[in-house]
Amino acid sequence: MVVGDIAQEVEVVVIGGGPGGYVAAIRAAQLGKEVVLIDKDTVGGVCLNRGCIPSKALIHAAKTADHAKYAGGIGIKVGAVEVDMPQVQEWKGGVVKKLTGGVSSLLKANDVTVVSGNAVLMADNRVGVETTSGMEYFKFEHCILATGSRPVQIPTFPFDGEYILSSTEALELGEVPQDLLVIGGGYIGLELGTAYAKLGAKVTFVEMADNLLPGVDPSLVQIVKKNLRKRGVEILTSTGAKGYEIQDGKVHVTVDAKGEARTIVADKVLVTVGRRPNTEELGLEQVGLSVNERGFLETDSQCRTQNKTIYAIGDIATGPMLAHKASKEGIVAAEAIAGHASEMDVVAIPAVIFTDPEIATVGLTETEAKAQGLDVTVGKFPFAANGRALTTNEGDGYGIVVAETASGVVLGVHLVGPEASNLIGEAALALEMGATVEDLHLTVHPHPTLTEVLMEAAADVEGVAVHIAKRK
Amino acid sequence: MTVQFKLPDVGEGIHEAEIVSWLVKEGDTVREFDPIVEVQTDKALVELPSPASGTILEIKAPAGELAHVGDVIVVIGEGAAAPAASASASASVQGSPEPGMIQPAVESGMGSVAPGGVGAQTSGAVAVDASVGAQAPNAQGAQGATLVAGRVLATPATRKLARDLGVDIRQVAGTGKAGRVTKEDVQSFHQGGGQVAAPVAAAPTTQAAPAAPLAPAKPLTAATPVAVASTEADERVPLRGLRRTIAQRMVQSAFTAPHVTAFDDVDMTELIAYRKQANTLLAERGVKLTYLPFIMKALVSALKAHPFLNAYMDDERGEIVLKKEYNLGVAVDTPDGLMVPVIKNVDKKSILDIAADINALIEKTKNRQLEVNDMKGGTFTITNMGPIGGLFATPILNYPEVGILGVHKIEEKPVVRNGEIVIRSMMNLSLSFDHRVIDGAESVRFTNHIKKLLENPNLLFLEMS
Repeated sequence: MVVGDIAQEVEVVVIGGGPGGYVAAIRAAQLGKEVVLIDKDTVGGVCLNRGCIPSKALIHAAKTADHAKYAGGIGIKVGAVEVDMPQVQEWKGGVVKKLTGGVSSLLKANDVTVVSGNAVLMADNRVGVETTSGMEYFKFEHCILATGSRPVQIPTFPFDGEYILSSTEALELGEVPQDLLVIGGGYIGLELGTAYAKLGAKVTFVEMADNLLPGVDPSLVQIVKKNLRKRGVEILTSTGAKGYEIQDGKVHVTVDAKGEARTIVADKVLVTVGRRPNTEELGLEQVGLSVNERGFLETDSQCRTQNKTIYAIGDIATGPMLAHKASKEGIVAAEAIAGHASEMDVVAIPAVIFTDPEIATVGLTETEAKAQGLDVTVGKFPFAANGRALTTNEGDGYGIVVAETASGVVLGVHLVGPEASNLIGEAALALEMGATVEDLHLTVHPHPTLTEVLMEAAADVEGVAVHIAKRK
Repeated sequence: MTVQFKLPDVGEGIHEAEIVSWLVKEGDTVREFDPIVEVQTDKALVELPSPASGTILEIKAPAGELAHVGDVIVVIGEGAAAPAASASASASVQGSPEPGMIQPAVESGMGSVAPGGVGAQTSGAVAVDASVGAQAPNAQGAQGATLVAGRVLATPATRKLARDLGVDIRQVAGTGKAGRVTKEDVQSFHQGGGQVAAPVAAAPTTQAAPAAPLAPAKPLTAATPVAVASTEADERVPLRGLRRTIAQRMVQSAFTAPHVTAFDDVDMTELIAYRKQANTLLAERGVKLTYLPFIMKALVSALKAHPFLNAYMDDERGEIVLKKEYNLGVAVDTPDGLMVPVIKNVDKKSILDIAADINALIEKTKNRQLEVNDMKGGTFTITNMGPIGGLFATPILNYPEVGILGVHKIEEKPVVRNGEIVIRSMMNLSLSFDHRVIDGAESVRFTNHIKKLLENPNLLFLEMS
């Protein structure tokens, strides 16, 4: 049989069904394109299956346990809090299933054909898919690559699914480990580590850099660190993990803490030292593409690669590895294919970190702005002066607004505090709209809500915040 | 040191011109006054000379693009050939797309944008930009938008509109708070209105994808434009250059002047005989007369007798301007579309002079060598459809003229003379006139005048000046 040589003709092939790929597929279909979406797994990608969504479910479960544990302080007695991890996992699985099911039906409703299998580019307009029933071939006019990323594995700590875990396995644990060591204090490690700490684990963070969350404004991280320490979490910065051995069912990890060797014993080791783009098995060389020195595909403002029929979006393309960046690129790529003048012209891509309290940022920090030679004024307002934050017993943190001095245009907003992730949307809008701090603080914000922090931080840029004493 | 060559006002009061072709390419060395580009203005093809000696650094308005007076169409590095680095430096000062980004328009091999020039509307302006180099963070983008932290302040929707219209938003001067560019700013920039001479940039589309719809730079009517759906099989031809000028003029005329067209026929039998005789006599001089000089001579006589047909309607002042010159426009069909060169002072010329003028102008028209002056000053227009065919037409006025005469083919037809059917050579006339100025009865008297002279060629002698 030479069935394999017969290629099905299709207008757009999308490889990868994560938040980049499935959004691109739906948008292209909305614009009248015939679309095939190839995914080797369940649609939804890492985000829905092994990332954003399950981790947020776990974090919510942990937060609920934590609230219950400390509910006595506000007069609510609940007795001993018991974590039934299998049930937490079952509930989490239900959430994931609901969302991935939703994506499937959306794809179906938009007449996107979903093919399960491994896709390999064969030529400029041809892709082969290894399915369970053999190879299938598609001839396309345009292809969108959206294969995402996977956790980086360090040779000294190969993932074994038992003791040395990646974020994927860490999300699936059937019981809360007594001692958890997290190697890599980036946002993924910090989110999961914090969740397990709240669920009862004794957590230790080991980070090579001199601070947790490298790249994030240290003044924001400070609040998070203070909270973790209060919880009994140990934070070892400027510390490298050297190796490990298993003894009596425990992992003995050797670390080098500022030149001093030390052994940490843990039940599980979570390694979260970054993510790597999935480009190796795509057959990029067959379409004349190669990744840059950092492993990403370079694209133009319409997400097009050097090969004009092929687009790359999300984690495999340059830029931050964030689901919402992938989705936006998916829309731009689909619209570009349909001949629209769409571009990635976003002013800033917001970033959210579900630590306790949450961190959310968009745009330039004061340091970044100054490094660009900009004359900026900064406003700051604490959640401790916000009525709503106090009524939920979450007064830690503050909001910072960075504005250009002359024009008052908002250049960046940085939040550490309760619901920061939900508050940053307004800030992103302000940046996209070119709003000034005046626009922000002249807008009536409802009381009592956390959004007042943004309003007051903006007012503070002009020295007119009402609920804090004026700085002399 | 670079010279930013801005599209000068090559005629009188033109606002835009289509770049037809570049006679040089980037990297070429040019000398001052060397022709470098051909542009198509409202009706003439003009070659523009280089304003300076040097190297062509960047062609900002590629062939096919519509440039506005004051737009920088090319950047010339003065003196010896400048390295490419200085070209990109000059580009960044003008607020071109970030060099690091692969801009879609780059695929066309041309710069994507022709920056507009605020205050550069004086004709033939050549701005010398010596400040190539540093780009302050809060610089004025090109001559347009205020930049804050290196970006234009505009909402996402405004940015999208700009892309859809093919406008480089960095060229648009913002009128909003803190220099925000509003949707209105983009729209008026696009329409060339407001205070900014606006370029129409290439839309950021791809080779692989069909071009994004590019709205006409100026709406042709005040009415809401109708979106036309099309299938992929349709070919979309941009309304550009001469075609666009024609469209604008026709809309202006048709929707301003209430047109009436009156028809008549003329017995040309006598004139045919007369012309035949004249051409026999003229043969040794190598001259051959057509009917047009005779018709023009008859027409001028009629215009003298009916001065309101040799007139302009001045809408603004509410006055009818009676012209004292008799300059007849002749509609000429060219491969690019209709052009109307003007034969000046027809009343003062002999039929032979008129014939020579017509030949010269038609020759220039076909060779696209007409100058702006060749098309100006007309007081009445003739459109000769004889050589092509057709019975009648309802010509549209060459506004603000108030009359246009369509002359049709001469054909033998049975007609009744003295109670008998005879064969005569007949020619139809279609006279359109502006009913605001002329009433029906006068138009008939006017045609009768022409008819009488053409049917009795001997009378034409009496019209000789």
